[in-house]
Amino acid sequence: MERAVAVGLPERVASVEEILWHRDDYGMITLPDEVDGHRVRVGCDVVAIQDVQDSLAAFGDRYLRKVFTASEINDCRGSNRVHRLAARFAAKEAVIKAFAEPDMPFPWREIEVTRDGPLPLLRLSGTLAEQAQHQGWASSSLSLSHADCHAMAVVLVVCGGNAGAGAR
Amino acid sequence: MQDRIREVLAAHGRMAVDPREVDDRADLYDLGLTSHASVDVMLELEEVFDIEFPDEVLKKATFASVHNIAQVVEGLVKLSA
Repeated sequence: MERAVAVGLPERVASVEEILWHRDDYGMITLPDEVDGHRVRVGCDVVAIQDVQDSLAAFGDRYLRKVFTASEINDCRGSNRVHRLAARFAAKEAVIKAFAEPDMPFPWREIEVTRDGPLPLLRLSGTLAEQAQHQGWASSSLSLSHADCHAMAVVLVVCGGNAGAGAR
Repeated sequence: MQDRIREVLAAHGRMAVDPREVDDRADLYDLGLTSHASVDVMLELEEVFDIEFPDEVLKKATFASVHNIAQVVEGLVKLSA
């Protein structure tokens, strides 16, 4: 079997990379999931604007109160309300994916999108804040976007060196 | 109970197949159920069965199959009785 070579990698890697990267019998490289005890987590999601519009039409305030905090509902008032709500829902799902704990409960209102001027910020509360602490979440960055038909979110989390055991 | 759950899924699940005809253990996410649609399904189940989903059951696995939904709803109905 031909030896697989990762595109863009030098033929002879530096010694520190040889320590961190592990080649299998076929020469394939498994990149480390953490460096110096620091780990990056990422999550993304996309939501159809029409789905949020339909939920609002069908369930109104019940839908809002189940999913969004009072602050989020207030932030989304005015023009593009549905698009903003959709982006926030995408952010909540992106955060859930970043946790990578499929069996863990995820109350949507424990994930809140706030704003610092034009920048969206992530706030966690309750059990999710505790779980983030357990996983060693040290900082996060959130990006939201929307078009006419869909909204999306990407969250990137850097975990510190004190992540709890089993918090992968 | 499963029949009523399947009707709710048909009305709000936005799935690629008719949920009235799927196996009760079939993975609903594989069949097109999205996270957002699961919110609608949950809200409608609350109305139909006069229950409220507490935070601890708000997990992906709860809505992963008709069987799973039925188990959770059955437990919540008993609690509210």
